[in-house]
Amino acid sequence: MQAIGNFDELKKYREGLVSARDPKRKVVAVCTGTGCKAYKCDDLASALEAEVVKQGLSDKVEIVPTGCHGFCERGSLLVIYPDDIFYQKVSVDQAAEVVSKTLANGEILEELLYEDPVTGKKIVKESDIPFYKHQQQLLFGPGRRIRPTEIDDYLALGGYEGLAKVLSEMKPDEVVELILKSGLRGRGGGGFPTGVKWRTCRDAPGDTRYVICNADEGDPGAYMDRSLLEGNPHSVIEGMIIGAFAIGSDQGYIYVRNEYPLAVSNVHVALDQAREAGLLGENILGTGFSFDMRVSRGGGAFVCGESTALMASLEGFVGEPRAKYVHTVEHGLYDKPTNLNNVETWANVPLIVNKGVDWYTSIGTGDVSKNPWGGSKGTKIFSLVGKVKNTGLVEVPMGISLRKIIYDIGGGVPDDRAFKAVQTGGPSGGCLPESFLDQPVDFDELSRAGSMMGSGGMIVMDDRTCMVDVARYFVKFLLDESCGKCVPCREGNRRMLEILTRICSGQGVLSDLDLLERLSRSMMRGSLCALGQTAPNPVLSTLRHFRHEYEAHIVDHRCPAAVCRPLITYTINDECNGCTLCKRVCPQKAISGEKKKFHVIDQDKCDQCGVCIQSCKFDAIDVA
Amino acid sequence: MSKMLMVTPGRCIGCRTCEVACAFRHAEAGVPGRSRVQVRTLAKDVWVPILCLQCDDAACVQACPVSALWRNAETGAIEVQEDRCVRCNVCVVACPFGNMTVESPKKAVIKCDVCGGDPACAQFCPTRALEYLEV
Amino acid sequence: MLNLDINGRRVTVRKGTALLAAIREAGFEVPTLCHHEALEPYGACRLCVVEVREEGRDKTRVVTACNYPAKAGLQVETESEAVVETRREVLDLLLARCPGSPVIRELASSMGLHRSSYPPDQNRDNCILCGLCVRVCEKLGFTAITMAGRGAEREVAAPLKEPPPDCVGCGSCARVCPTGNIPLVDRDAMRRIWDRDFEMVRCTSCGRAYITREYLESRVEASGLPASHFELCDECSRSRTAQTMYRHMVLDDKEASHE
Repeated sequence: MQAIGNFDELKKYREGLVSARDPKRKVVAVCTGTGCKAYKCDDLASALEAEVVKQGLSDKVEIVPTGCHGFCERGSLLVIYPDDIFYQKVSVDQAAEVVSKTLANGEILEELLYEDPVTGKKIVKESDIPFYKHQQQLLFGPGRRIRPTEIDDYLALGGYEGLAKVLSEMKPDEVVELILKSGLRGRGGGGFPTGVKWRTCRDAPGDTRYVICNADEGDPGAYMDRSLLEGNPHSVIEGMIIGAFAIGSDQGYIYVRNEYPLAVSNVHVALDQAREAGLLGENILGTGFSFDMRVSRGGGAFVCGESTALMASLEGFVGEPRAKYVHTVEHGLYDKPTNLNNVETWANVPLIVNKGVDWYTSIGTGDVSKNPWGGSKGTKIFSLVGKVKNTGLVEVPMGISLRKIIYDIGGGVPDDRAFKAVQTGGPSGGCLPESFLDQPVDFDELSRAGSMMGSGGMIVMDDRTCMVDVARYFVKFLLDESCGKCVPCREGNRRMLEILTRICSGQGVLSDLDLLERLSRSMMRGSLCALGQTAPNPVLSTLRHFRHEYEAHIVDHRCPAAVCRPLITYTINDECNGCTLCKRVCPQKAISGEKKKFHVIDQDKCDQCGVCIQSCKFDAIDVA
Repeated sequence: MSKMLMVTPGRCIGCRTCEVACAFRHAEAGVPGRSRVQVRTLAKDVWVPILCLQCDDAACVQACPVSALWRNAETGAIEVQEDRCVRCNVCVVACPFGNMTVESPKKAVIKCDVCGGDPACAQFCPTRALEYLEV
Repeated sequence: MLNLDINGRRVTVRKGTALLAAIREAGFEVPTLCHHEALEPYGACRLCVVEVREEGRDKTRVVTACNYPAKAGLQVETESEAVVETRREVLDLLLARCPGSPVIRELASSMGLHRSSYPPDQNRDNCILCGLCVRVCEKLGFTAITMAGRGAEREVAAPLKEPPPDCVGCGSCARVCPTGNIPLVDRDAMRRIWDRDFEMVRCTSCGRAYITREYLESRVEASGLPASHFELCDECSRSRTAQTMYRHMVLDDKEASHE
């Protein structure tokens, strides 16, 4: 495409794109996010395209392979616009039917409809599905309608309008002020007001400044940033260009982990397109403002999400944090003032510019008009996973309750099990019990409850989850991911894991709990970076809310959730009808009993693997 | 005007009082340090006390990779900043006069620092073989 | 210049001074294991933690003095409850890691800690991963060794755990190591360190092997000094100096007697 030379040309170009589109033409948005890729959504999209051509519907129907829709559990999925028909679990061989029946004749395919697990009713329209109904997809929404690798799709939706507005109407200071007033806070975990960061960086002495997009998301089970970058890379790029203009930077970096191949490739494509369109590089939109950026691929170390470690890695050094008493906004990459924001934070920027502060601050909690720490504004994307019916990515307004996310959007806990806890904030977050379900979700409320917003991981746990085991799992993760530089994090996590393992195997003593608390305090105070400083969170929050489970392990030598193998016993109850199945599957040959007679487990031989309980069809095996 | 430690070898009687004085002046926690001055016996009844000449163009300073050696502006003596010394020992080898010494427990390099302007060796030398004089 | 308050004492330091230097200048002691004045602050051992309250702030926080810049109006406590607890915990952890290290044991017992709260590690050497060896090596321009692995697996190692090709056998790493954990053996004019053998140069006078050839060559080049400076061991240099001085004395005497 020809470079767009000025604001007028951008406007005309967009109008051209919009008028070229036939509003009556049906659009089939096929999710081609990474989750659906596992369900062969690319084959589905090609099959649909081929069928449309074959059935002569090319001028009536357009197949659009889009970014992630969020409802990953139901892939492959597609939405037919303008009717808003939602099909889920669509397989490649159903493509012909979708085209011939629904697209050609408007006939709804019942078997592809979503069935509400609560009411049991089939739902046709996407907007009626509870998973979507309660969301507010401000950031995620556009990516679901466009091809991530087509800048025209983004431009047609009003893309780069925010950039044009900023470059044509605003001074850099005004942009900083706008972001400050919007109350936008860092979505990477810290919740630091973005405007304050921008201003400090802008005011820092020096000629060269850098902006960085942190796409090194690494929390287990979290993939918000990945999907955003894969599905709508231009929104992040536009945010960064606006930020660069506000801060006074001419060079940016996107640090993305190499395990996100689709994100890496889509960002590269998007950058090339933006450059070609004159929206990135020298003399952007003919304004004289120049800014370019590079993609740097990370090796997948969790600690490289920490800003100083990330910058060390960008410079080509080992990704190890340094204490940032002198902030990176003043001395960052190559010792220059550097503004680093996370993917989701950057994606918020064009939105705020386009829709204004009043609109943005109407979403969320608190009052940020006087104090940028006064509330949490806008939406937040969570990756809702674990023991919840509807797993996927959900974008909700700040201030929504945990209950609403888990029950209304997530559909609650499957298999009629009881809810036990929700872990928010990734590995260094905390586990909150049921009494906190009506807690509004925002930066400050979650911290007060002993957890944190983090980058948006949300793991739901049911009554079969052992909270000591959960704490142990996260400590293990953090120990593996600790860079090992400072003593409290390296040795502290190691000892913490040792103690928790001891407790899980029934070898704990009550004074271990005091030791855990004492060690936690020192790790939080003494660790070099946020990884070590927040590492005790899973331990402290489970100790605070589920202390009785720790005590049960130590005092009663019992794991209430029946998870910790050294502490559980399997026994056969009166329901046993002697089917012999358990006896046959037991790898330890610990079960004896004759056909149609009561079976018995030899506790000396049993190694608590649980195969018997899974195989028994008569609920005849108890675990305690 | 600055002062320098002057050696007159003919006056030295080999009593080694200078060595002892130096060790005690550089004692730490009651333990005498290693002496920065060494008396050499060259022949029968011929002794020479050897200590740093505080060269104008000092090889030790030039060789030190971490600038742990610097000249005290007041005394004119080259001093070792012990907590900057990285124990690379290059100065020990580089000094053509052999006047850098390694102290064993801390492994740091030591040398004559004219005791900050009041050298013990000169003070206690009974024959004025060592003198701290204006030059 | 700026003023700050350390343990209730008003202290004036130059702008840009690290807090650790300011504290020590004021005469207070803060223990360190990974700090070295010739190297950039590293902030790994966390022993130099102190509690600070910045001007205009209500809350105090625990920071490491080695890399925290002295600020005007700062109030510093070097022995507060939080500081002592954190420092003790660090030593508790190090004591469990290196139960056999006299340096660690001494530091720990100076804080009243005679036994670790954690089971002592078995079969582990005395490396505390302070990084001094690695950083000194880098500072001297060799970068022969590095940190490898992460988390509990972190260790000091040569690239690919093979004898390091960039090592010159200077031995500085072994000498700066606070726990004396790096083996260095000189025998028969050969030095063995990091699983490599280095040829040593013999003093042209006494024949004592006093420096490795590679180190000698690199230092002649780096210092710009004539190679002749490095020909003798320090003992023989001293003897030469003595003889020179004696010769001068005899000459002087002769001249004096001629007058």
